[in-house]
Amino acid sequence: MKNFRKQNRKRPPDQDISGWPRDVTTPRITHINDGELDFYRRRAMYSSVVLVFFFVILITRLWYLQIQRGEEYTKMAKNNRVRYLEIAAPRGNILDRKGREIVTNRPSFNVVWVREKNRVDDALIKKTASILDIEISELLARTRKMVGTPGHVPIRLAEELSWDQVAYIENNRMELPGIKIEVVPQRVYHYGNLASHVIGYLGEINPKELSSIDSEGYRSGDMIGKMGLEKLREKDLRGEKGRHYMEVNALGFEQRNLKGLEPLPGNDVQLTIDVDLQRVAEELMMKDDKSGAVVAIEVNTGRLLMVASSPVLELDKFLGGISVKNWKDMLTNPHHPLINKIVQGQYPPASTYKIVTAIAGLAEGVITPESSIYCPGHYRFGNRTYRCWKKTGHGAVNLKHALSESCDVYFYQVGQRLGVNRIAGYATRLGLGRKTGVEMEHEKSGLIPTSDWKMKRYKRAWQEGETLSIAIGQGFNLVTPLQLALMTATVANGGTLYKPGMIETVKDPDGHIIEQFHPTVLDRFDDQGSNLKIIKEGLIEAVNGRRGTARRAKMENITVAGKTGTAQVVRLKQYKHLKEEDIPYKYRDHAWFTCFAPAERPEIAVTVLVEHGLHGGSVAAPIAKAVLEKYFGRRGKNPEETSSVVLFHNEVADAGRSSESIH
Amino acid sequence: MLRFDRRLVHNFDWVMVVLLLLISTMSLASLFSATWNGGPSPSPIFFKQLYFFLFGYAFILLLISIDYSELEMLSYVGYGAICLLLLYTNLFVDSIAGTQRWINLGFFHLQPSEPAKLVLVLVLASSYSSNEYVENGYRLRDIIRPAIITAVPFTLILIQPDLGTALMLAILFVSMTLFAHLRWSTITLLGSTGMGCAVLGWLYGLKDYQRRRIETFLNPESDPMNHGYQIKQSKIAVGSGQGFGKGFMEGTQGHLNFLPERHTDFAFAVWCEELGFFGSLFFLVCFFFMLFWGINIALTARDKFGVYLAFGLVMLIFWQTVINLFMITGMLPVVGIPLPLFSYGGSSLMTTLVAIGILMNIRMRRFQVR
Repeated sequence: MKNFRKQNRKRPPDQDISGWPRDVTTPRITHINDGELDFYRRRAMYSSVVLVFFFVILITRLWYLQIQRGEEYTKMAKNNRVRYLEIAAPRGNILDRKGREIVTNRPSFNVVWVREKNRVDDALIKKTASILDIEISELLARTRKMVGTPGHVPIRLAEELSWDQVAYIENNRMELPGIKIEVVPQRVYHYGNLASHVIGYLGEINPKELSSIDSEGYRSGDMIGKMGLEKLREKDLRGEKGRHYMEVNALGFEQRNLKGLEPLPGNDVQLTIDVDLQRVAEELMMKDDKSGAVVAIEVNTGRLLMVASSPVLELDKFLGGISVKNWKDMLTNPHHPLINKIVQGQYPPASTYKIVTAIAGLAEGVITPESSIYCPGHYRFGNRTYRCWKKTGHGAVNLKHALSESCDVYFYQVGQRLGVNRIAGYATRLGLGRKTGVEMEHEKSGLIPTSDWKMKRYKRAWQEGETLSIAIGQGFNLVTPLQLALMTATVANGGTLYKPGMIETVKDPDGHIIEQFHPTVLDRFDDQGSNLKIIKEGLIEAVNGRRGTARRAKMENITVAGKTGTAQVVRLKQYKHLKEEDIPYKYRDHAWFTCFAPAERPEIAVTVLVEHGLHGGSVAAPIAKAVLEKYFGRRGKNPEETSSVVLFHNEVADAGRSSESIH
Repeated sequence: MLRFDRRLVHNFDWVMVVLLLLISTMSLASLFSATWNGGPSPSPIFFKQLYFFLFGYAFILLLISIDYSELEMLSYVGYGAICLLLLYTNLFVDSIAGTQRWINLGFFHLQPSEPAKLVLVLVLASSYSSNEYVENGYRLRDIIRPAIITAVPFTLILIQPDLGTALMLAILFVSMTLFAHLRWSTITLLGSTGMGCAVLGWLYGLKDYQRRRIETFLNPESDPMNHGYQIKQSKIAVGSGQGFGKGFMEGTQGHLNFLPERHTDFAFAVWCEELGFFGSLFFLVCFFFMLFWGINIALTARDKFGVYLAFGLVMLIFWQTVINLFMITGMLPVVGIPLPLFSYGGSSLMTTLVAIGILMNIRMRRFQVR
């Protein structure tokens, strides 16, 4: 290289070393560093050796493949005939806690066309269209959609064939080359729209899902869970596709079947949900077009027995893709059917929150069960007057009466003594204001305000007057029905906050249990047993007492303990003078009722929210009662059973006494 | 700058135009066959590619009307823009099939790693041609700047992950650096470092699917239904073409869908199958003649930047061609490198056409035009 370079220098600048003929018609303008330029030109010329080298290799290789071994490869091309078709796997079933089938599969017969020769045969299309009784243009449209995909991927021409059509196509197979019947599992909803928000629905996989990380094994046209457990448990439910291998001849017709891979069905998912309870709640909510949520939970485990959100989703509208019109209707419907109100609805807890204020008051020692507060019907704080719901006032009340009669003034004062942050601490420990982690999508966390929160959010200091609203569950407070059910269960079981669960077991197709429900403790109150006992008394009184607000939930044989709530939506002067029925629907108050039973030995907690239902006591409580009646059936208050309770021994006596006192 | 000069018309590069039209025709004919779906008219894919060709030709006309020395300044702007686009794809674009390569422009999915190759050639040509000449060849410190220039898009493309294109950038860098006259000691040092990196990259840097591809290549029987399958089917397609091919539109491997990606990466296998050895030979002769013509353009360029640029552009087309054809004939594992001017894909086609446009530009201005 070195020598070569020196030679260049000596060369007269005029001489072109490139070897290529020079254009003599135009005089060349010499460069200052022309020698250097020539040096690079020479290198460029040498580089063409590399080009020649690779060119020769490629030609030699092509000669080897095409001429030397051409015969061999031609034979291989002719024998290249093994193809496979995918067989969809049956999705796992969804069962209720007693093993009743909620969602299963049935075979659906589709017509597919395997484009062996990749050529559209007009006669074939016409014949197929007449058999299927659909427009030729639609068949062509479906075909066009699949252009560019490999020909062995079948094009689906029609779904859900009748038996006659299936039989006809099978009998005329010879005249319909490439047309095949495909059996695809289709979802069957045995209980209609039961628990539709939680169970969810299937839809055709979209490009975005196809390109996501978990898309292995999916193909366009496959069904995939779009909502609820169908989506969250997609991995369990989907199963594994099978393959149908076949040999085809040079024209692409099937010659013989080869051994294939059977599809592997998905895992069965057994829920903790009880179909009977679910149906009772959904039917009652459907009556008078109520919208809202009903939740029932096993207080000692966290199993969800019923999760109803009303109005239900109409699953049949989602089958085969939802139309734009249906979707718009659902979005604009004032009852918001698309929202799963169990975890996505956030409402002021209203008077049900007095349970929290009471627990905080007792635990912090600002009140005792006997503390008596006089309620004249209003409470003056600062320069504002805070009203009790009962204008005439409750007179002197203690905690038990304050809870059972839902006296606002009592809790204004408890709240004022506690301050907002202490109340918030107890609310959070009871599961309010934080996500429960239940297997439902888009869970909302609710909101339990603190003074720090307000400072951060609004840049303003906390006003003590706001604490009074907070103490009775109004103001900034927001909870979801599920959170309130958890709180109720926590009070009922003596202070343990369980994580709510919906999946009892997941079983593989061979029946092996893959996943099993285990109670998970999120939080636990220690040393609050006696305080909770006092609160329970108040709640028992609310249902069973003469002046209790929740008398509509009282049952014959079972002692129910509960609390009503009426959550203000707006406080507008213009509606004050109106009768409740005349207030526009969307400005009416929400009705709450939350309860547990049997009070002596709690098993189940039920929370009902009726959106714009006006009164918890009259609207929500009867729904809870119906659910409890279904749950307990004809079971009476079996004395033997009651005496076996060890944990809540004293309570049993107390409860008995309080229920006696009503009569 | 856009001043009309009669000499430009006089020096118009008719050779390149004729070659380009010849290759384009073969490419479109093959695409027509590969994507034909039995309907009365060609597939939408065919038309899309045709429009890209026409648009590319128009763009070449625009491109040759400015002096290529203007591109030197523009190239840095382009380089910055491409790096930002690559960064954008890596950060914000949802991945398709595990990689993030495309930006959706509505009418067109732009794959910024394609123009990245072109811009890299421009920037490297500019960087090397502005280097002072060193008597015994460049030392390591002289190539630090070009190395960094390459490393940025290289890394961004590697993490997409698009191993093929990233390697392409590395190959371009190596080609152009060797062209720039390195010292032997530097070459030895860099060569051994490069080998070390390759070994480390194999052990730690490769994604599973990438390693599998290479392993499959080394032992095709281990994975007959996937990557080994692709190479095997491609070899069958090429080989069964024999001397004169099965005839246009008559290839069974392509039309019965045994051949994967038959209009993109494996497009040339369809040509080989349908037109046989002599058809492939004719195409390769045309194609390599175009590359030699490109070398000739480098030989006759008026300045150092022109020589570098022409050389780099030829290398850009050349290496992609070699890698793609090696893959189709089963001499390399499946790496996603298209055959320039032949594989379907707007980004790649436009990049190649622009490269050819710049070559024509250099050719037309081999004499100082002032």
